[in-house]
Parts: sequence; C-alpha cells; structure tokens
Amino acid sequence: MNNTITLLALFEKSTQTAEAIDDLYNLGIPDENMTVITGVPYPERSLGRHREWLTLPYIVMGGAVGGLLFGLFLSVITPHLYRLDVGGHPPVGFPPAAVITFVFTMLAIIVSTFLGVLWEMDFPRFGTAPYHRLVTDGRLAVLVECLPDLEQKVRQVVNSHQASYVGEPERLVL
Amino acid sequence: MSEFRPEPSIEPENAPEFEERLLLLEREDWEINQAVLQPMLKSGWVFWVVVILLGALVLWGLYAWGYLVYWGIGVSGKNRPVYWTLFITTFVFWIGISHAGTMISAVLRLLKADWRRPITRGAEAMTAFALMMAGLYPLIHLGRVWKFYWMIPYPNNRFMWPNFQSPLMWDLVAIFTYLIGSGLYLFLALIPDMAMARDHTEGWRYRLYRTLALGWRGTEAEWHKLHRALAIFSVAIIPIFLSVHSIVSWDFAVTIQPRWHSTIFAPYFVVGAIYSGLAALATILVIVRSGMKLQEFLRAEHFNALGKLVMVAGMAWTYFWFAGFITEWYGNEPVVRELIHEEVAGKLAPLFYLQMTANLLPIGLLVFKKVRTTPALLLVTTLLVNVGMFTERVLIVIGNLERNHLPFNWGTYRPTWVELSIVGMTFAGFALLYMLFSRIVPYVPVWEIKEGRLRYTLRRIGRLLIPTAAEIE
Amino acid sequence: MSHSAEVNHRWAMVVDLDRCTGCQACVVACHAENNVPVAGEKQAAYGRWMHWIIIHRYWEGEYPNVKARFMPVMCQQCGEAPCEPVCPVFATYHNPEGLNAQIYNRCIGTRFCGNGCPYKVRTFNWFRPEFPEPLTEQLNPDVTVRSRGIIEKCTFCVQRIRRVEIEARAQGREPQDGEVQPACVQTCPPGALIFGDLNDSNSQVSQLARSRRAFRLLDELGTDPGVVYLKGGETDV
Repeated sequence: MNNTITLLALFEKSTQTAEAIDDLYNLGIPDENMTVITGVPYPERSLGRHREWLTLPYIVMGGAVGGLLFGLFLSVITPHLYRLDVGGHPPVGFPPAAVITFVFTMLAIIVSTFLGVLWEMDFPRFGTAPYHRLVTDGRLAVLVECLPDLEQKVRQVVNSHQASYVGEPERLVL
Repeated sequence: MSEFRPEPSIEPENAPEFEERLLLLEREDWEINQAVLQPMLKSGWVFWVVVILLGALVLWGLYAWGYLVYWGIGVSGKNRPVYWTLFITTFVFWIGISHAGTMISAVLRLLKADWRRPITRGAEAMTAFALMMAGLYPLIHLGRVWKFYWMIPYPNNRFMWPNFQSPLMWDLVAIFTYLIGSGLYLFLALIPDMAMARDHTEGWRYRLYRTLALGWRGTEAEWHKLHRALAIFSVAIIPIFLSVHSIVSWDFAVTIQPRWHSTIFAPYFVVGAIYSGLAALATILVIVRSGMKLQEFLRAEHFNALGKLVMVAGMAWTYFWFAGFITEWYGNEPVVRELIHEEVAGKLAPLFYLQMTANLLPIGLLVFKKVRTTPALLLVTTLLVNVGMFTERVLIVIGNLERNHLPFNWGTYRPTWVELSIVGMTFAGFALLYMLFSRIVPYVPVWEIKEGRLRYTLRRIGRLLIPTAAEIE
Repeated sequence: MSHSAEVNHRWAMVVDLDRCTGCQACVVACHAENNVPVAGEKQAAYGRWMHWIIIHRYWEGEYPNVKARFMPVMCQQCGEAPCEPVCPVFATYHNPEGLNAQIYNRCIGTRFCGNGCPYKVRTFNWFRPEFPEPLTEQLNPDVTVRSRGIIEKCTFCVQRIRRVEIEARAQGREPQDGEVQPACVQTCPPGALIFGDLNDSNSQVSQLARSRRAFRLLDELGTDPGVVYLKGGETDV
C-alpha cells in the first residue's frame, strides 16, 4: 500500500460532505481509507459512515469488578489480618464495609473509563498526523487514501460538491 | 369592550427574546473560537491586582497554618467540648460547593438540558477547586498533621492498619474518589477544546495545549469514543457525588452527640450542598461573565434556568431542615431541647436568624424573573444564600457541640485569628485557582456550544417563529 | 500482655458518692502519677484543663440555702465505647481486660473520639505540655509524657495494673483483690474509690456493684461503663 496518496478535502456543510462520501464509495474507495475530521461532533449516521464497535464498556465493567474486589478486600479481609477490637462493633460490620466497597467500585469505574477511552483512542499520540487547522474553525475534512490513478476522479467528485480546498493534508506535529 | 386585534406576525427581527437565543446561530465557528480565546490571552490590570491580593491572602493563611502546626491546635479557638470548629465547618462548606458542578455537567447532560452547555466547564472547575480546598481541612485540623499518612492503608512493619469503620476513613477515600472523578471528567470534556486552542495559539500556550490535547484531531472514531466515555462518566459520577456528602454528614451522624445523631443528616446535607453549590455557581458565573465579557455565551436564559434550580434546591433544603427540626423539637429530649433553646432564643440566636433569613429570603426573591435574569440582583441573592449556608454549617458543627449530656461539660467557643486566616486562605485560594484557570483554559466549552447549535433552527408554527431543537445525540 | 489462667479480668471502679468529700486529692494524685500537665488558669477557664479525673460540681438552690452536688468523673472504660470505632488510626481500642486503651504515639489528633464520648472525659494536648522546673523531677518514668496534638484520658493507671500482674505472674499467682490500686484509689482519704476485677464475683467491686445503691452514669445511652457509682443518702455540704 505504499504507493497510495492521501488527499484532504475541506467542506463547509454536512450535506455536501455526506454526498461527497457517497460518491467516493461509488468510486470504489473502501470505508477504512476514508476518515472524516470535524471540529464538532456530528450525529452518528449523518455522514453515511458505519458505527464503530467499542470495547470501552467491557473495560469499564472489568474495572468495576476489580474495584469491587479491592474494596471488599480492604474492608472485609484486612480487619482480620490486623485485628483490633473496638467497642460495640464487630471487626467487620455491614455498613462500613458497604461504604468502602461502594467508593472503591466507583473509583475503579471512573479511572477505568478514563484509561480505557485513552487506550481505545490510542492517546496520547504525539507525532505527525494528517490534519488541517481549519477543522476547528468549522470545516469538515475528509481524508481519502487512494491509489494515484484514482486521484483525478477523486478530485472531480470532491470539487463537484463544493470542496473549498483539495490537496495534501497539513502534516502537523500534534 | 375592547376590540381584539391580532398581533402582527413575529419575524426574527422583531422578536427580542428569540434574538438572544439564536444569537449564536448568526456566528461563524471561527468567531466563536476567537470570542472565547481572546479573554484568555489578554488580561487587564484589574485582573492582576486581584490575583496579587488573593495571593497575599493565601500566603498569610499559609503562615497562619504554619503557626498552628508549630504551636499546637491551642492557638485556634477549640476547647473541650467544642473539639471541632471552623476548620470542619469550612470543610463541609467546600464539599457542599463542589456538588453543583456535578449537578450541572452530569445530571443536566443526562437530562439533555441544552442550557447547560456554556456552563459545564466553569461548574466542573468549581467542583475540582472546591474539593482541593476541602481536602486541605482534614489535614489542617489534625493535632499531629505530620503523621497524616497513617490514614493511608499501606503494609508496614508496625502491623498497624487504619480503621475502616471510622467515618474519617470513608471521608478520605470518598473525597479522593470525587476529586479524581471530577478532575478526569473536567479533563476529558476539555480535550477537543485543547485541540482548538492548540490550533490557534503560539509559544508556551501552544506547547501546553498540544500536550494536553493528546493528539486529538476530531475523527469520527474519536468523537464517538469521547461521547461514550462522557456518557459513562455522567452516569458514574452521580452516585459518587451523592455518596460524598452523605459520608461527610456521617462524620457527625454516627456519633451519639445530641442533634448530630440524626438519620436525616445524609439527605439534608446533600440537598443543602446542591443549594449552596448552585448558588455559588451563579455567583461565579455573574462575575466571570462580566470580567471576561462572555455576555454572548452566558445569557439571560441560562441565569433564568439556574435561578429556578437554585430556588427549587432552596425549597428542598427548607423541607429537609424542617423535617429534622420538627422531630427534634417535638421529641423534647432534654439535651436536644437545651440545644434548640440555645439556637432559637439563646446565645446563638443571632446566627440562627441570620441563617434562616439568608436561606429563605432568596427563595422568595428567585420567584421573580427580574431577579433571576438581572445579573447584579442574582449575584446579591446567591451570595446571600451562601452566607446563610455557611452560617448553617457553623450552627451544626459548633453550636451543637456546646451542650451535651452532663451540664458540667458545657462550653462556649470564640474564634481566633488563626482560624479566620486559614478559612480566608481557602476562599482566596479557590478564587485564585479559578481566576488562573480561566486564563489558561477556554472557559466556555466551545465544542459543546457548537454541537448545540447544530440542533437549533427557527420554525414557523402559526403566527409564531419559534426556535426548535432537534433530537440528536 | 498478661492473661489470667481461665478468664480475663474486667477492671472496674466503684465510686461511693456517700463517702466522697470533694477534696480533689484524687485529681492531684492522678496528675502526679500520669504526668498530666497543668493547663494554667486562663486555659482552664476556657475549658482546656487536662484533668483525667475531675470532680463535677453543681450548685443547687439560692443563697443561703445553697448545696453543692459533686461527683468524680473519669473515663468510664465503656464496654461499648462510642469513642473507639471512630478513630481513623485505631489509636483507641478495647483491650481484652475491659480497658479502653489509648495509644499515645498512634494518635494523630483528629479529636473524633472527643466528640463521641458522652462523658467528655477525653482531654487534648492543645499546646506542648510544659512542666515548670521542679515538677520535671517528679515525672513518672512508667508513663509516657505526651506531646502536643494527642488525646489522652484516664487509663485506670494501666501501668500499675501491669506491674502487679507481672509481679504476680513472676511469683506464680493471680493478683489479689485490692492489690491493684490506681493513684486516685490509693490516695482517696475517705476511701470512696474502690478498684478491682468485676469478673471475680468475690471481689469488693463486684459485691458493691450488686448493691442497692448502685447506678451507672448515663446508663441509658448503652455504653456499658466500667465505673459504678453508689449513692444512697444525701451529700450535705
């Protein structure tokens, strides 16, 4: 795949972008070779792309179970390892154990959500990547990877939907 | 008999309140970016003067803290039986303030209330900084603060372990969890705006934002994952924030001290926290709006909605206060009766009436739309709420310790300069952190506003032209 | 830690209010035995006195028909102490001999236990305790001198309990009834304080605890105190 070229097209409106993407499909460019970059999140299927499957929920559930077990360990097991009696209560009582277990479960959920989403997005990623700064000023960018002989057709399609810029993406050090 | 004449059709030009609502529809994305970035990059001399003053207050407070550690807790006004005073009071107060941020960003996000969009970041920042200030107090009030790390469960050669049955341990883990949770939530929602700032700044700001943006570009996949994570966060952080203040209230409710040992403490404190926090948020928003010229983003509709929430929270607080008070008053238990007498007709009466006036009057004032939508009036009203709520904490923590089962053990309390300085330190510290935050981070969540803009159009229903919101996301 | 052969001791004290004259000799003895600092007049007036045992005094009536009611109150060594579960670092716990133990070098000074105690017998070292010159000569080497930031309270002179138990074990016997005498019990002129093992049904404290005159302070709170008060007649002072 070394001889593919990358083209970036900037659009002003979402309708133009969606139609352009449709036409690019019809040219035979597969889904993985197209990336849409926007400064604003557009609703799921508005641009005609497929919905991605996430492992994030499973990471979170795993984290929750881990937190639960750790909280149980701290509140139920450790008082027996370091035994000290206090007045009027057994070493392990339900309410304190419930509070500690609950808090550690929630902490694990939060931390595993954060780390999980970072892992799924492959963040942090500081290197050059194809991008264009006008994306944060409201443009929608479509990155297309295709073989050189399709380049002309791609440019044609994209220009027919009023792309404001077609060309090499800025390879910014992000 | 007057003649009925139908009004002329409403068009966008002669519809002032619609005009405000859809102000942002007229703006380009880059205009919004600049409107948010400019106040960050330029600060007037007033800003720096205030920062220096606050810094001086913080330094003075740190000196007072050092004085306290060196000479002993005796330099504060504590005594037997009033073992806990202004430090714990302010601790509870700050935890209370921290609850509003989560209400706005998590609860309102789940309820799909659009008016939360410009204020979520300011609210979450308020939560994070309030928690940092609150977290100082369990250290400040320790008799031997240099041994605080014994509360952390780590295996050691003394075979000593902290006591997980103690509410102070629950405090430790709960506040730690909430701080991490709200900090991560703040950061996660910040990433796209860090990318925006990265693209528009230079120098040290560029390097900072580039690091914090973690390489965000804005691909569909990234947005999808971010949304998923924020949705999980919003749901997860709600039980956390409900539990944190309940746990703090159990510091008091699990003892058998009269008037503390009450089952209503947990929901009472949570509702009081929401009341106090939302009021503080309104105060802060009014100040930031005028200081950073964000009139475009923080409009009358936002203050209107926030004011209504504060009013409802105030009514809920009144209900819980009364539910607690009526059972104590009616039961006539001797020590409780003595404590209530002290509060209502004794030495503490001025504070009690201050509390009730400052908490109830705003509820009545916020009924009026004029009060809710005029920034100056809203500022005064919400400041009054927090004066009342701080007084309420004073009465709960300090007032109820002054009497107990054996009259020989009754006591009084007088604050000292050390305590007042340290309390002032956290207020100044909070304000200082917040002001610095507003200059380093885009205060208004730009991507959320732009996302909200996608939803609104003008639609004609009969003679009216109404902004309608599309149901996306 | 010593254990008895079959069953643990439960150390208890009986305070006979009909004998107590309010002379405060017990207070002074406790200061001397346990290295309790003197707070000074100003601090004491603000509620920061350090006495581990203190005579509660109430005035009744109007002049000239004034009566003083008083009773010595020290840590009640509660069986179900509300002060124990709330300490985050286990600086106070219940030892098998029924004592509410305070570990000075573990205390980090949260003062939560002070709030939990309904008798308010826990005192806190608000400043670094100072012993003006000749008093340093009479500090008891068996008892720690506490620094600032630490809660302390009556321990039933646990150092004296241990000494008797160790000596008795060295001699191959059990401690006798009345052999263990905390400083206050030893000093009390009218003999109003009696100390012993509540688990030994023949000891003096057990017999007195079964007396008709016996009551316990704030019994209704359910703290199961280890101090029994006796009162039958009037205390006319």
